[in-house]
Amino acid sequence: MSASTATAPARGLRAPARGTLLGYLLLLPAVAVIVLLVIVPMAVIARQSFALSDPLLGGTMGGFTWDNYAKLFDPVYAKTMGYSLGLAALNAAVCLVVGYLLAFYISTRPANRQPVLLMLVIIPFLTDFLVRTFAWITLLGSGGPYVRIARALGFDASSLVPSQFAVIMSLLYAFLPVAVFPIYASMRAIDPSLREAASDLGAGWWQTHRRIFIPLSATGIGSSIMLTFVPTLGVFVIPVLLGGGKDPLVGNLIVTLFTEFRNEPMGAAMSMVVLVLMLASVAVITGLLRLLSIRSNRRAA
Amino acid sequence: MDRVVAWFCRLVFVFLYVPIVAVVVYSFNASEVSYRFTGLTTHWYSDLFHDDRLLATLRTSIVVGVLAALVATAIGFLTAFSLARFQVKGRAFFLGAILIPLIVPEIVIGVSLLEVFSSIGMQTGILTLVLGHIVITLPLATLVQMGAMAALDPSLSEAATDLGATGWITFRRVLFPLLRPSVLAAFLLSFTTSFSNIVISTFTSGVGSTTLPLRIYSSLRTGLTPELNALGTLLVLFTLVVIFLVGVRQMRRILA
Amino acid sequence: MKTKALLAAGLAATSVLALGACGSSSSGSTASSGSKSSDSGGNQTLAIYAWAGEIPDSVIDGFEKETGIKVTVDTFDSNETMIAKLATGKSGYDIVEPSQYAVQLMVQRNLLDTIDKSKLEGFDNLNTKFVNPSFDADNAHSLPWAWGTTGILYNEKCTGGEITSWSDLWDSKYKGKIYMLNNMLSAYIAGLQVQGLSATTTSQADIEKATTKLLEQKPLLAGYNSDNYADLVGSGDACIAEAYSGTTAAKAVQANQDVHFIMPSEGGTLWTDSFSIVNGTKNQTAAYQWLNYTLKPEVAALLTDDGSLATANSAALDQIKNEDLAKSPAVYPSDAQLAKAEFIVDPGEALTYYQDGWTKVSAS
Repeated sequence: MSASTATAPARGLRAPARGTLLGYLLLLPAVAVIVLLVIVPMAVIARQSFALSDPLLGGTMGGFTWDNYAKLFDPVYAKTMGYSLGLAALNAAVCLVVGYLLAFYISTRPANRQPVLLMLVIIPFLTDFLVRTFAWITLLGSGGPYVRIARALGFDASSLVPSQFAVIMSLLYAFLPVAVFPIYASMRAIDPSLREAASDLGAGWWQTHRRIFIPLSATGIGSSIMLTFVPTLGVFVIPVLLGGGKDPLVGNLIVTLFTEFRNEPMGAAMSMVVLVLMLASVAVITGLLRLLSIRSNRRAA
Repeated sequence: MDRVVAWFCRLVFVFLYVPIVAVVVYSFNASEVSYRFTGLTTHWYSDLFHDDRLLATLRTSIVVGVLAALVATAIGFLTAFSLARFQVKGRAFFLGAILIPLIVPEIVIGVSLLEVFSSIGMQTGILTLVLGHIVITLPLATLVQMGAMAALDPSLSEAATDLGATGWITFRRVLFPLLRPSVLAAFLLSFTTSFSNIVISTFTSGVGSTTLPLRIYSSLRTGLTPELNALGTLLVLFTLVVIFLVGVRQMRRILA
Repeated sequence: MKTKALLAAGLAATSVLALGACGSSSSGSTASSGSKSSDSGGNQTLAIYAWAGEIPDSVIDGFEKETGIKVTVDTFDSNETMIAKLATGKSGYDIVEPSQYAVQLMVQRNLLDTIDKSKLEGFDNLNTKFVNPSFDADNAHSLPWAWGTTGILYNEKCTGGEITSWSDLWDSKYKGKIYMLNNMLSAYIAGLQVQGLSATTTSQADIEKATTKLLEQKPLLAGYNSDNYADLVGSGDACIAEAYSGTTAAKAVQANQDVHFIMPSEGGTLWTDSFSIVNGTKNQTAAYQWLNYTLKPEVAALLTDDGSLATANSAALDQIKNEDLAKSPAVYPSDAQLAKAEFIVDPGEALTYYQDGWTKVSAS
């Protein structure tokens, strides 16, 4: 992702000519982590995706084959992939709207209240994920308050678990902080005088956001989209507990391949496909953001 | 319109706390099954306080979460700062690589990390847990802080330099205060991400280092006990109280 | 400044929590390198890797008290992740609790030690039904500890009558109120037995027939669920579900008198989880002490009293204090119900047929 590639040279902390060596030095810890804990393990996975699987014992037998990839062309997998991508896009869109508004709201509160509000966003996540998920099941289930209240009001309500609605709602719930924080971080760094200038000029709400806040927080928005869209593919508990487990996501499929199917090579191949697809969509998102930011820069100039 | 947004956001906060209220209410539920509320009890709290093994997993999770979040936030800060302030080559490749842990399903990262750790003869334990959690929290910490740095007004540091401030002083007095909220945001997000991770922990934990979510996830098979609601309630209340106390003290300081 | 203070407060809060939890974890699982100490000497340790909820705290406490050995118990949620951890050869565990098919796999991968029967006391206490099982001849590598069945959990109020057969899981009367276990081999148990086929079949034709049957069933299902189906049946969200006997089933039956656990007339299946010694353990003596301790009838009885699970120890049956559990069909189905139950083993090479079928079922 290189949303900042697009924006940084134009704006942001402009790079001074001197001190580039310092720039590389600052990157060293991250490079160490990425090489040792990301690239090396991924190389292992890439290798395994071409290995023969050992169907009896699990694990891999070495060797080289394209079979693991060839099998993925089965329409069965394409269907799961399509469904997952659709759900991921929907989740990212819902999270973006809610996350953007919440981030904007928090960043316009008095400065000393903001950290408290930020903490309020994150505190629910100190309870365990499964405990929260089961709380939703209780709330939306047939013995829970949703059904009782709706029936008391005269509606013919029944349990919302399992349902697509429950899945989307709990995805929003799970990903909301991740959607809010990057946008908030960008908004917070926007010069407050711009804000005042905008309101002094009497620009409308949408105009102000379209011209000022959205372009200036584009990097945060990009991060937010990425952090919600991409990991949705790997989700595997929510579709089962709230969605009934009849429509597995790619995450469920890969877990099944690695565990029940004892087919690490095919799980690895599937992961590589997901990786390539995701990097491609990240490139698309980044490209769109770059266009957005170039346009806004041109307008500003 | 701002008023509509404000009301909408208040509703979002309500939404965030609805299941928490349920957790609190059901932590006092006398019935062991969640679909029925049969009366009040504090039984689950006393169970919790006597469940040394569960509390030990909580301690493991907190230690791992704090360590992983500190390291990830620090590295993320340096990375974001470098990428925003210096023209380094290969940034697109670099950012792509940092994103990989978000893209690849966690089970794949977990399995491959376990293979790497075991091939270099590292026994799984707290250290491997922390390393595994750094992998998944680093992209979050970096992206959050990068957002803030990209939005900073470049004229700020230029102005400071014009006024004769050195690089370090500009950073400390001008830039860092503006970035501090994003550092906090990165830390909080990293901590909760680590604190609730199941899959990476499955593969990187070792003897005696079962984390809380791991324990809860594996006990799904025999059913979650309301004791876990009690634990969730206490964690949330405790944090709220701390924040409230700090908040009150700050207000006093401002008023004094 | 405020942010800084808050950050500091947050850190302080988390560290206080850490210390608090630390202080209270006086005994039991402390984070330490489990198996470093040698056999001799007072500071012995034992690291156990087991299914959650299958070793009651009372068993561990009793063992620690009697032997002075410090026990660490970690839990896993699937045989496959457990095997992945042990396959590194450096897991540090001494005792592990695999399910029956996992014992087979682990023996083939040389992950388990052979159990020296001469060092055991009380082997005769074990239920003969689980001794010398097909997956581990002569119990060379595993001692059965817990057992259970795969059958049906249903809510009588919802079904409106007694349920006796797998075929009820295919009854369109209950459309949208049926759950199947979210696990390939478990789902195939019903898919095979409902057609009169064996649940341990390795025949491709049989497995394909079962696949067709499962595909036929999917539109009727509310979902696949291995986690909270017992709650769903209890609350009436589900009428009928494929289910495991044991803790959750017992709880559901106890909490709601309309809920029943039965073995289907087609047979159902049996499973066992056993204790094995990890190959290469440095704590041999302690490991045998654990095996002998858990072979004691009064200790094995705690599995039912405190864990609501069936013990594989026949001598323990008289020692169970909780009569309700000892008689509960959700924990101990009657011999008549168990008469046709099949013992599930690893399908071996036939696994691919199951996988192909299950992939179709999941994506349909």
